[in-house]
Amino acid sequence: MRRELTFLVALWKANLLAAMEYRVSFISQIAGMMLNNAVYFLFWVIFFDRFQSVRGWELSDMFLLFGIVASGFGLGVYLFGNAFSLADTIAGGRLDYYLSLPRPVLLHALASRSVSSGLGDFTYGLISFALAGRFSPGALARFVGATILATVVFVAFLVLVQSLAFWMGNATMLAQQATNALITFAMYPITLFDGTAKLLLFTVIPAAFIGAVPAELVRQFTWPTFAALLAGAAGFLALALFAFHRGLRRYESGSAIQIQV
Amino acid sequence: MRLCRGLAKYCAIFKAEVANSLVYPGDLASRSLTIVMFMWIFSQLWRATYRAAGSDVVGGLTLRETLWYLMLAETIVLSRPRLSTRVAEAVKDGSIAYLLNKPYNFLLYQMAVGLGNSIARLAFNALAGGAFIWLTAGPPPDPRGWPLALASVAAAWLIDFCLSAAIGLAAFVTEDIAAFEWIYSKVQMILGGLLIPLDFFPAWLRSVALAMPFAYTIYGPARLFVDPSIGRFVALFGGQLAWLAVLGVAVAMLYRRGVAALCINGG
Repeated sequence: MRRELTFLVALWKANLLAAMEYRVSFISQIAGMMLNNAVYFLFWVIFFDRFQSVRGWELSDMFLLFGIVASGFGLGVYLFGNAFSLADTIAGGRLDYYLSLPRPVLLHALASRSVSSGLGDFTYGLISFALAGRFSPGALARFVGATILATVVFVAFLVLVQSLAFWMGNATMLAQQATNALITFAMYPITLFDGTAKLLLFTVIPAAFIGAVPAELVRQFTWPTFAALLAGAAGFLALALFAFHRGLRRYESGSAIQIQV
Repeated sequence: MRLCRGLAKYCAIFKAEVANSLVYPGDLASRSLTIVMFMWIFSQLWRATYRAAGSDVVGGLTLRETLWYLMLAETIVLSRPRLSTRVAEAVKDGSIAYLLNKPYNFLLYQMAVGLGNSIARLAFNALAGGAFIWLTAGPPPDPRGWPLALASVAAAWLIDFCLSAAIGLAAFVTEDIAAFEWIYSKVQMILGGLLIPLDFFPAWLRSVALAMPFAYTIYGPARLFVDPSIGRFVALFGGQLAWLAVLGVAVAMLYRRGVAALCINGG
């Protein structure tokens, strides 16, 4: 476990150094993403300026929700950026490189790329949390914990859908649609959905676990909410690991010569 | 005569791209699931909002009109050509050098390719999104207004093309244009009225939004679609042509300056 952690830190360090080679691009991506998120959030500012409250949700709730989703997403794409292109890696036979090295294949594949703009999302999420007007040391600790668990669910979901490439070959399109759905649903008040829709948001597209549930935990700590989030994170992580390793047995490649940059 | 011959080659490129995009109808159909998802979320959000507002009409729009407005707005954005990335890639990887010596204008070529790619997407998105809204909110607006809305969508795409091309051409200077692209898409999303019709904006912000080109790319055509009239069409189309003239000249100048400074290494 410790060895894996040291390995991960070394990978992240290498990714950071590589990104810093193009410092202007690195900084512009972070600043650009923060500005991008801020402009998007204007929608909710305008919306709640006009309608004040919808199904019990107000602007401050949206600040908190957006804070969690942006931070969780940002942390996920920065630390495990290759999760987005895992299906391509599988379909293109590029897992050979990771299989030939004495390190955990999935961990290595996921962390071998960092998406710089993820740092912009993460930072924006922190700012959004601060603007939600619920700042206290306790809330900050809950925010950090909830963000980490939301990140686990997000990355696990990506691995799960991208691993479909082991069975389907080209799963990029499906994975993209599923990821878009996850993020989109996570950014809307969960009270808008009821019945079957809500059930879907806790299972097939676990948007509730990267948005509404962690946001609820930050708002007020309760053991049932904490247990639900923890169970969601553990469940999806286990499912993702199972799907990837099961799929890996089916993996085959054309032994093409590849260069890992 | 020469103009007709000049346009004919871009028409041929356009037709080839339309045929190309129709090769995989299954792919087009699966992509149109995205609009159904958005429409489902919007219908939940706006139903709850109208109920909370306690009124059948908000900002001059009924719930049904708002949902049809959002359907066309999403169709325009989800189907439009993604030109800035194509232009920027051509500049960055040097393939612009290959395209520059062909007997066509690089920008007009990109426009024909982009429009050709988008037309089938437009049809699939409109069908999927329209079917969903028809089933959940009621019938579409007066069909006699559809041709007017379609003409304004075409003009909207051309304005978007100019803005996207300007961002793509920024690659001559900055190489990486991702940040500009994100910000443009979000500014267009808000000030163009993609997520919320401009009628729901505070008066001061609405005036600001209406004075900018973004409103002519989404809000104008979508509003015309739900409330068609000749007067509204003339005002909208006139505004679109004026913005096209201004932006077209600006992009042509940017392109000329960029090409003059272009330096290709290797071959």
